[in-house]
Amino acid sequence: MQYETHCAVRYVLSTERLKFSIGRSAILHDISLRFRPGRFTALVGANGSGKSSLMRCLIGLAAPEAGRVLLDGRPLASQTRRQIARRLAYLPQSSICPDHLTVGELVELAGFARTGLFGTVRAADREGYREALRTVGLAGKAARQLSRLSGGERQRAFIALALAQDTPVLLMDEPVNHLDLKYQYAVLDLLRDLVTGQGKTLVVVLHDLNLALAYADDAVLLKQGRVLAQGPARQVLDARAVAEGFGIAADLRDLGGRRLCLPKGAQMIGMP
Amino acid sequence: MRFAGTCGAALALLLAAAVASLSLGATPIAPREVLRALVAFDAESVDHFVVLSQRLPRALIAVYAGAVLAAGGAVMQGITGNPLASPSTLGVSAGAMLGMLVSVFGFGAGLAGQGGAALAGGFGGFALTLAVARLTGLGPDPRGVPLILSGALTGMLLAGVSGTLLLTDPARRAEYLSWLAGNINHFYADRLAVFWPLGLASGLILLALARPLTLIGLGRERAEALGVPVRRVSRAGLAAVVLGASSATAICGPVGFVGLVVPHLVRPVTGAHLARLLPVSALVGAALCLLSDVLARRAFAPFTLHTGVLLDLVGGVCFGTLVYRLYLRPGARR
Repeated sequence: MQYETHCAVRYVLSTERLKFSIGRSAILHDISLRFRPGRFTALVGANGSGKSSLMRCLIGLAAPEAGRVLLDGRPLASQTRRQIARRLAYLPQSSICPDHLTVGELVELAGFARTGLFGTVRAADREGYREALRTVGLAGKAARQLSRLSGGERQRAFIALALAQDTPVLLMDEPVNHLDLKYQYAVLDLLRDLVTGQGKTLVVVLHDLNLALAYADDAVLLKQGRVLAQGPARQVLDARAVAEGFGIAADLRDLGGRRLCLPKGAQMIGMP
Repeated sequence: MRFAGTCGAALALLLAAAVASLSLGATPIAPREVLRALVAFDAESVDHFVVLSQRLPRALIAVYAGAVLAAGGAVMQGITGNPLASPSTLGVSAGAMLGMLVSVFGFGAGLAGQGGAALAGGFGGFALTLAVARLTGLGPDPRGVPLILSGALTGMLLAGVSGTLLLTDPARRAEYLSWLAGNINHFYADRLAVFWPLGLASGLILLALARPLTLIGLGRERAEALGVPVRRVSRAGLAAVVLGASSATAICGPVGFVGLVVPHLVRPVTGAHLARLLPVSALVGAALCLLSDVLARRAFAPFTLHTGVLLDLVGGVCFGTLVYRLYLRPGARR
């Protein structure tokens, strides 16, 4: 393919033959992926398939045993934490929530990557923080304590923190967990807007294949630490891939312009 | 400008405590006379002499120890995420105490040597606490009780060794016995005069690191993702805390529990952001130390109690309350 020759321009984030282990157990084997700018990529796979480990390698929190991650064509390992944080925002799966920290204070902390130790917060930054809170529907709750919010509100506050970092690339590990139906769709609508409207690049771990099919441009299907399939979401997530990746039979149907994945109950099919 | 108001209130509290500390004593001296002693010293006046040579140094030591320890507690609780962390619960004070005693009893060190030994001891005590936590295999998560248990164990061990050391030299025993109990006293003024820059440096480093240290309170991984070099920052922060706390111990012995209690009193008012929590904790810690010192001197007159003993009493009760609220109460989160 012709764009392979100048991948630094075409891919904002990529991995080359990534291998990662925890102790003696190998978690990721030989993962080579490319994330194109301005695309929403869903990372899907069964529990334990290595999604979160891959995310942690992509942000540089986990050191790969072999292979490397490239951010803007430069090896991630050669960049400082602040350089990375100006390009990549990351929403981890679980969050520590300190007592007595307000939502407003939380979101302002996102500015550290840009200002550093002694930099000052500018008016434009403040507007950005307010905008991030408005986006997740917490504009009126900036003075509220994080630890007193409901689970869903807290998750939205942490999403606002990632948005306030104002990076071209966002990595999100199950961002719609803990959210009720309305905010699952509201958050994903918002993420979609970030991609379509602002050209941001998103890599999002999603459990619900229907959400992945509805919102993602591309999908990466992981199984036991290997890439089973990658490409446009609708091509990747077909009945065979679902069967192979999740061990469950499913019907994929088109309905009103949407592709729906309908698992056929809980009957397991033979695992290879 | 709610923060300015909070700072003002804390400052007013400190000022009131200072006035109380300077005017109350074996012979009460009117605040006006105290002020006059400070701005227009009269060499003929006994009261002026008492204020300037005894009560003022004593008050300054209390302010120094209180501020440094409270700030240290706020930072340690932030970095470890452990609400019971403080220089006195994680072996820093006990380590500094032992370091001091070793330098005096073993080598007859001068002030500078004692300060250096206290620093080394403070770092050693903290490292020993971490090592005990690791060796006992109670889990690497610093947020749980195991770290505090290790700190208590380390503290007891080091205090025991210190006590033994003290017994080896009957001649100098008396001189250091009261220091060992945490004694805010004017005859340690020369120590304050030498060691105060350490506390100042510690405070400045911590203030400069306030934002990344607050971010570390969100969890190491999230802090990394937000651009904080977590290892470097938490090491620098902890080193600054140990520096300040050890210098306080070198001055007036292990004054316990200010570092543990004060951040919990202040946090509900200022919030958890260290840029606000730190300065207010320092002010309130200084005020608390001054007031306990006044109480220790006056509550049981004509006997005077060591401030450290009183703070241990008060602090023990607070510690119990915190443990109950955070861990034992039905529905506690941890």
